[in-house]
Amino acid sequence: MEKIKAGIFDIEGLENVKIEIKEMMGEKIPEEEWAPMGPTPMPKIADLREWDRVLLKRYPPFYAPQCDVCALCTMGKCDLTGNKRGACGLSLEAMQGRIVLLACLVGASAHAAHGRHMLHDIEHMKGDLSKIPIDFGTEINVEAPLTRLITGIKPKTVADLKEVFTYIEENIVQLGDALHTGQEGSALDFESKAYQMGMLDSLGKEAADIAQMAAFNFPVGPGRPLLDVGMGTLDTNKAVIFVIGHNAPPATNICDYVIDHNLEDEVDIGGACCTAIDSSRYSTIVKLACSLGRQLRVIRAGLADCIVVDEQCIRADLLYQAQKVGTPVIFANDKKMHDMEIRDGDDPGEIVKDLVSGNVPGVVLLDPLNVGEVAVKVAQQMKPIRRKKGWTLSDEEFKKQVEACTNCGNCTVACPNGIRIGDAHKLAAEGDISLLASQFDICIGCGRCEQVCPQNIPIISTMIKAAWPLIQAEKGKIRQARGPIFDTEIRNVGAPLVLGTIPGIIAPIGCGNYPNGTKDVYTIAKEFGDRGYIVCLTGCMLIDTGLYRDEEGKTIFETHPDVFDRGGIINIGSCVSNAHIHDAAIKVANIFAQRNIRGNYEEIADYILNRVGACGVAWGAMSQKAASIATGFNRLGVPAVVGPHGVKYRRAFMGRKDREEDWYVYDARNGEKVYVGPVPEHSIIAAETIEECLPLMAKLCMRAADTPAGRSIKLTHYMDLNKKYLGAYPDDWTVFVRGETDLPMAKKAEFMQMLESDHGWKIDWKAKKILEGPTVKYDPSFDPTNLARLIKHKKE
Amino acid sequence: MAELKMAPFDAANIPGPKMGRVTAPVVLGKMIKRAKRPLLICGSEISEDGMIDKAIEIGKKGIPIAATGNAINSFMKKGYTDNVKYFSLHELTNCMRDPEWKGLDGNGNYDTAIYLGTLYYYASGLMSALKNFAPHVTVLSIDRYYHPNAVMTFGDIWRKPEDYQSMLDEVIAQI
Repeated sequence: MEKIKAGIFDIEGLENVKIEIKEMMGEKIPEEEWAPMGPTPMPKIADLREWDRVLLKRYPPFYAPQCDVCALCTMGKCDLTGNKRGACGLSLEAMQGRIVLLACLVGASAHAAHGRHMLHDIEHMKGDLSKIPIDFGTEINVEAPLTRLITGIKPKTVADLKEVFTYIEENIVQLGDALHTGQEGSALDFESKAYQMGMLDSLGKEAADIAQMAAFNFPVGPGRPLLDVGMGTLDTNKAVIFVIGHNAPPATNICDYVIDHNLEDEVDIGGACCTAIDSSRYSTIVKLACSLGRQLRVIRAGLADCIVVDEQCIRADLLYQAQKVGTPVIFANDKKMHDMEIRDGDDPGEIVKDLVSGNVPGVVLLDPLNVGEVAVKVAQQMKPIRRKKGWTLSDEEFKKQVEACTNCGNCTVACPNGIRIGDAHKLAAEGDISLLASQFDICIGCGRCEQVCPQNIPIISTMIKAAWPLIQAEKGKIRQARGPIFDTEIRNVGAPLVLGTIPGIIAPIGCGNYPNGTKDVYTIAKEFGDRGYIVCLTGCMLIDTGLYRDEEGKTIFETHPDVFDRGGIINIGSCVSNAHIHDAAIKVANIFAQRNIRGNYEEIADYILNRVGACGVAWGAMSQKAASIATGFNRLGVPAVVGPHGVKYRRAFMGRKDREEDWYVYDARNGEKVYVGPVPEHSIIAAETIEECLPLMAKLCMRAADTPAGRSIKLTHYMDLNKKYLGAYPDDWTVFVRGETDLPMAKKAEFMQMLESDHGWKIDWKAKKILEGPTVKYDPSFDPTNLARLIKHKKE
Repeated sequence: MAELKMAPFDAANIPGPKMGRVTAPVVLGKMIKRAKRPLLICGSEISEDGMIDKAIEIGKKGIPIAATGNAINSFMKKGYTDNVKYFSLHELTNCMRDPEWKGLDGNGNYDTAIYLGTLYYYASGLMSALKNFAPHVTVLSIDRYYHPNAVMTFGDIWRKPEDYQSMLDEVIAQI
């Protein structure tokens, strides 16, 4: 494109000229009026507080303190046991809210800073951001639903996202201020602020993902190819580069270097966590080696010839662990430099020489354009050196180590999952490695066990050795990430989702801190996909879901369609991509229901809470990002279930179905207050086991606006899953029955009989109608809302 | 039997100045006997170390049981469901915080919660909620782990399943 030089021009007669004027004489030109502005564009801390109060009244915070003291200022330590107040006056309850806000701040900062950092990288790698259009094709007109909803901005180029990040950053600072001693004193207001932080988190994720999608031309939409997943897919016949983290630009530069130099046959790129996912959107040569729970195992198994890390969820002892197996490390982000020297500007040959010779264990390269060449050359040169030595334990060394175990139990007490490693070592010493091998998957790869072993047994390595055949056979498939949901897909599923005939959107997201191994995440996705829910996966749960195959040897990405429709199981992308799941719910309100979303957060969240059956699940939630993600979902009206470790987040939002007064909403037609029953019953809750999780998720997909056909389907799954996993129908199923048409079709007579005999409901058997019993009435024209301002005509 | 230690099963689970007192089985049994509205809470590890049989023995003495996680399946396998109800422990704890809660049987909240066969870290966090925000509930643990958020608890006995079973028998003998 030619740039016009300063001066006066006659543009008459010029063809195909597009003029975009953003500023005139220093004044910003107002944005085109693409939709009327709603009541809360760029909401500040207090602007959505009334909506938060609606939620907090129904789902008051439940606190499970992990620590009864506060030591954040020098007046402490303060003993807050029994909800006492500390020296500053803050109660234990409010302190929990404060910790939750802090966790959400860390999480939202990670996503937003990642996004802002990427804008800088994109500008450096691709040039002027205003020249990079945000245009995802003809199937997507609503390109940035969260951005439109929260800020009122319709971004046209990546440069427009700067304003979005500026809004987020100011709010994060303001909310961070509320954490200081002597600020907020109410648990409920801490939670309102945590909601605000969660909302900012969702916005930061969306902006980050659409920036990288636009800049790196990530593919969009269904029909994506299958990719390799699993530790066994790493090909050690090649030089292996292992990328870890979340900020993909350095990894994309590695892909470019490998492709530009035709090195695909010589260099293998595998990744852990979201950098793997996002770089595989850039190039399908990237393999998804593992979720974050296995990064230490990939390293300690000696599979990597060069490790490249960017940011978030990367082990803090990475350098120490990599040195054990002689793998050089490149730190490619200023948030994680581990006391290594910044070497941008040095001759790449010198950097490679220093790393390969072991002069330095690692280097920092902050310019992503410098990473590819160094990483590839280091891996290539390290390969022959590292292959001379085996990095897994020899048979003799393994025997010696397991025989040294005294079964003292220190490792078990240090283990987050309480794995009985000593018992497994004892068996292994007797020649049976099966128990130790099976523990490999339950282990989350934290390495705490090794630090407390009085015999200094390298337990991570003994487990790797025992599980080595399983590791080599770990070769699964997932589809390449497809990013946002098409507007056309929303048009197709909007009605069945709102009416309830597609029973819900299930969103497995987040980390790998599972209570009992990776198989549970496959079970979740398969169970709901088979039942016709739409399963949208992101992050580490996504990666682990692809590890398993059915009896015919197929993964669920091969047996289920890659569409946002009934029974679809789809890879949305990385952590930041899960904003597209929020977006799908917002687009249902916008595209299907024709609600104006611009600057209209409260109304859209109210719509989603009452109409869009969706439930998130973070079965291995570990990070502060998972806290802010879930809190952002919750404010938007989407409930979530976390695994048992999630109780350590300290706060849940649970409803009480026995408190009838909590479950009234307005009928927007006339303002009448209507009892709708406990739907959705909880906003966030931790399940103890997978058997508890599955029916609970089905229950949390019920909504006030379900039609009888929809409620019947949702109730069928809830009851069926209870029976399948907990051996009986649930005790509370009757509270969801509004009339005979809500009953599961296939077993209607059986359930009517149960209603009559066990619950005293009156049944007209001739007409097959319920005469008396339900506490909730169904009216097909019912227009539920929690917002008084949306009442159209007040009943006199 | 040697004195049992205040050693949490998660080594770093040290909540603060108020830590559960390691208590002899006989005393724990008497505490349970003395309770007006006791509730036995059995978690997802109930099928291990013979705990399910001991839970049923306690249930047969008239103490209602909340089976959390997947514990209900273990009771069904044993054919004992008389006074056993499935309940999510997170949800149950939320209800127990409320003195006005009607309980599993509609007759009111419980004054004593007794934990057995729980998933350690999950139960510990939820005991903390009762310890700090539900003064009307006494938290007792007869689990094989030392539970710092209980008022009274067994010490660290998970490595010795036979001794542990004997301790449970001592508790049951008092009820």
